[in-house]
Amino acid sequence: MDSNVLASYQLVFQTDKGTVYQCDRTNRLILSFWGTNTPLSARDFSQFRRMVQTVNIHQMALSTEAADEVEIFTLPRLDRCYVLTLCEILHLRELLNGAVFTLELNSILRECGCSTLSNQD
Amino acid sequence: MKDLERLRTLIKEPVELVLNQQIQMELISSSKYLAMAGWCDRNGYDNSAGFFYKQSEEERNHAMKLFHYLCDQGATAYTPEVPAVTQEFDSLRAVFETVLEQEIAVTDSINRIIGVCRREGDYATEELLKWYVKEQVEEEYIARRCLELIDQIPADQVYYLDTKLASVTYDKNPFENE
Repeated sequence: MDSNVLASYQLVFQTDKGTVYQCDRTNRLILSFWGTNTPLSARDFSQFRRMVQTVNIHQMALSTEAADEVEIFTLPRLDRCYVLTLCEILHLRELLNGAVFTLELNSILRECGCSTLSNQD
Repeated sequence: MKDLERLRTLIKEPVELVLNQQIQMELISSSKYLAMAGWCDRNGYDNSAGFFYKQSEEERNHAMKLFHYLCDQGATAYTPEVPAVTQEFDSLRAVFETVLEQEIAVTDSINRIIGVCRREGDYATEELLKWYVKEQVEEEYIARRCLELIDQIPADQVYYLDTKLASVTYDKNPFENE
């Protein structure tokens, strides 16, 4: 974990392009991507992932229009946005999907009455 | 690690997705019935028009019931796109044939959602959907009965046919007497 990441952050998923942490103290998921840490509620995280998933990447790949070279993602409830190329969108999708996999696994473990995932383990 | 998604809502993502698709389907049904009401109105079938105006409102209520359920339980309900629907029909029979096809599609969709609920262990949503199962039994009955009436009543008795069609109900729905 980076030295500037708060001690309460638990690693959810990491790729070489970014990281998703969870903070149980604030009930937030922290998206660390493109050099910025963005805290998101579970709802906003889900909404942002949906936004990223619904981009038509085939059109971006096939189009020669300048407007299709990048896609703008506004982060829910924040005055910040990502302007991403096709390649960066794919990296972001990989990160978000990986995080969702871990969160679902954590959910299944809880439902089964097993110990949930923890960074301390 | 806390299960943040579960803290947010009792509805899992696959169920949320299919419920949003069902909201769209119900609103498309509402739009189709409104188009049928308009067609009946301008072709002199006043009673059938009234029947379809009421049906259109009912379908919208079905959608809103799911919309509120998603919102109340912390999930996200999306306002769906409603594409253009057919405005013209060849005959009154064609109208009711479309109704039956639409209701069968809705029934199939409800059954599929219940399958998803069972797979995800979402018994609360399954319980809610039982109301839709009963409703679909009634909707399909009414559509079939109307087509039977169109077959039975001579084509020249238009006013009588129109009156009879608008009065079809399913008073003896076995699910209602539970």
